[in-house]
Amino acid sequence: MGKANRLMTALATIAMATAGPIGPAAAGPILDAVKARGSLVCGTGTGTAGYMMPDSQGKWKGLSVDVCRAVAAAIFGDAEKVKYTPLTSQQRFTALQSGEVDMLVGNATWTLTRDSALGLDFTGVYYYDGQSFLVPKTLGVKSARELNGATICVAPGTTTELNLADYFRANKMTFKPVVIEKVDEIRAAFFSGRCDVYTTDASSLAATRAANVPPPRTFDDFMILPEIISKEPLGPVVRHGDNQFADIVRWALYAMVEAEEYGITSRNVDEMLKSENPTIRRILGVTPGMGKALGVDEKWVYAIVKQVGNYGESFERNVGKDSPLKIDRGLNKLWTQGGLQYAPPIR
Amino acid sequence: MFKRFIVAGTAACALLGIAGTAHAGKDLDAVKARGNLICGVNTGVAGFAQPDDKGKWTGLDVDVCRATAAAIFGDAEKVKYVPTTAQQRFTALQSGEVDILSRNTTYTLTRDTALGLDFTGINYYDGQGFMVAKKLGVKSAKELNGATVCVQPGTTTELNLADYFRANKMSFKPVVIEKVEEIRAAFYAGRCDVYTTDASGLYSTRAANTPAPLKAEDFIILPEIISKEPLGPAVRQGDNQFADIVRWAFYAMIEAEEAGITSKNVDDMLKSENPGIKRILGVTPGMGKALGVDEKWVYNIVKQVGNYGESFERNVGMGSPLKIERGLNALWTKGGLQYSPPIR
Repeated sequence: MGKANRLMTALATIAMATAGPIGPAAAGPILDAVKARGSLVCGTGTGTAGYMMPDSQGKWKGLSVDVCRAVAAAIFGDAEKVKYTPLTSQQRFTALQSGEVDMLVGNATWTLTRDSALGLDFTGVYYYDGQSFLVPKTLGVKSARELNGATICVAPGTTTELNLADYFRANKMTFKPVVIEKVDEIRAAFFSGRCDVYTTDASSLAATRAANVPPPRTFDDFMILPEIISKEPLGPVVRHGDNQFADIVRWALYAMVEAEEYGITSRNVDEMLKSENPTIRRILGVTPGMGKALGVDEKWVYAIVKQVGNYGESFERNVGKDSPLKIDRGLNKLWTQGGLQYAPPIR
Repeated sequence: MFKRFIVAGTAACALLGIAGTAHAGKDLDAVKARGNLICGVNTGVAGFAQPDDKGKWTGLDVDVCRATAAAIFGDAEKVKYVPTTAQQRFTALQSGEVDILSRNTTYTLTRDTALGLDFTGINYYDGQGFMVAKKLGVKSAKELNGATVCVQPGTTTELNLADYFRANKMSFKPVVIEKVEEIRAAFYAGRCDVYTTDASGLYSTRAANTPAPLKAEDFIILPEIISKEPLGPAVRQGDNQFADIVRWAFYAMIEAEEAGITSKNVDDMLKSENPGIKRILGVTPGMGKALGVDEKWVYNIVKQVGNYGESFERNVGMGSPLKIERGLNALWTKGGLQYSPPIR
């Protein structure tokens, strides 16, 4: 190594060590690219009703999609400035790592290995999912605790099968498994009565119930039991390397939750600008500070709520009672109503 | 010439920045080279962080540091504690004087962003509550209409109080006193029916400041929590791997509680046939490698520190003078908010 090289290495090391602790100085490459491009590139799944699906005009809609829309609203003041890239489960993390997409809302479960070894960060949980049970109402069962002796359709996959066995063992019940690999075949088996129960993640059960019940039976002939027996927290994902961008993604979702808690909706947000409540004034940027801290316009939450809605509005419209899925809020209720959705304070 | 070198250096930084993980590791490397974790804690809050008469630090916040040290070194004792005041705490973390701040600090937007810090979780969901004398005969804050309320002047606490009473169509008479000693004296002297501040502060007052002949049992903290004060450990930005270890060391305590793994049964649990437990305890390897620590990291945490429920009860719960109810800090399966993403 020549003298010049050594000097360069030394200088680079010093420059980095100095830049490190300052934080925001080192941050920015992803956010800068998003701004220069004029749109956010959002990786989604290939299509899940209620979560991410293009409508007949090709416009992407859903609870997961709304997270991308909220991020675009925070950065550009315009929730439409998003380009969606559908990805398979196999492609999604590589696409994020390589920079093909800026963020991912592909209904990926936040797990330790994904959060650490993949060089990614989950910025929150937009849907607390978990394994549950679908049964025909004619079975006359109201709780999973009444399923002793049932025949259960389940896809072979370590976690789902194991959770099923664990749950029945823990509750001192037995069951007869019917193990089928393909999702179409498992649904056919369940609807033809080969099993009493179909178990998989509750969000998928809701989608199956909404879209796949064969006539003459209807949606209302089936029910999802209230028990959730596993943890599948679904969250937005970003790659390491831009803390500021990660913060914007994190707080865009929290802003939707906080808006719901303070009763700010897409319908009343203009009225709320006149509120005397200091917290609401701070959230909506009437009292400035929050936008500056995040590095976005002070109207960021106003733009999110006006264009996307608060979390409750997004939930009901996409997967809740105003949607075909009719998913109960359950674990996804606000913490003040018995659920797990909780945003740290915007202050 | 020098200028060009600096430009080259900056370019190298930018490249490393994008690579992400390449830039990571400096905080963790420093901790390993030093042989201990430097943990910024409170100067002394019963139950959360306090040195005992032998100078040994204990508390719910201290246990987050101990768990992190157990994950990195396999030894929860390898922690040096640096007491910090409210004013010093963020500077101490930003400057690198401490590796981690575990000091009953509320996770807020401005702290998470503009300060260049990251909160890695919430180890105690605190919030404003109400303490009353039992003889007042009240079981819920909803029954406090017309009460005289002792409150410190401070935007959030006073405002939350007014908002809560307004939202519940009740009235109250405020007694506003600045100094905490004076406010306690006023409450215990009966100048007000109710004392309101963060619930952890109320429990601490009840345990440590009730004047004789009155006893702690003569007072109750009402179940309502009317504001959000999520307290959590923070790290500075710039070392994702270290942040991940702090994050998952705490989550491991919660996951252990959910899986029924305790400091007492953890050795037996090593023989469990349950694949989830085998994976958590490193009998089936993988999790330690992903995090960059020993595969026995969760075993060491639970064996030496305990699961979250054990730490809670010992430090601030029923096994402590504070006797704080689990409340919001119960596991999600028991009606609380404590939830760990899965260790898999």
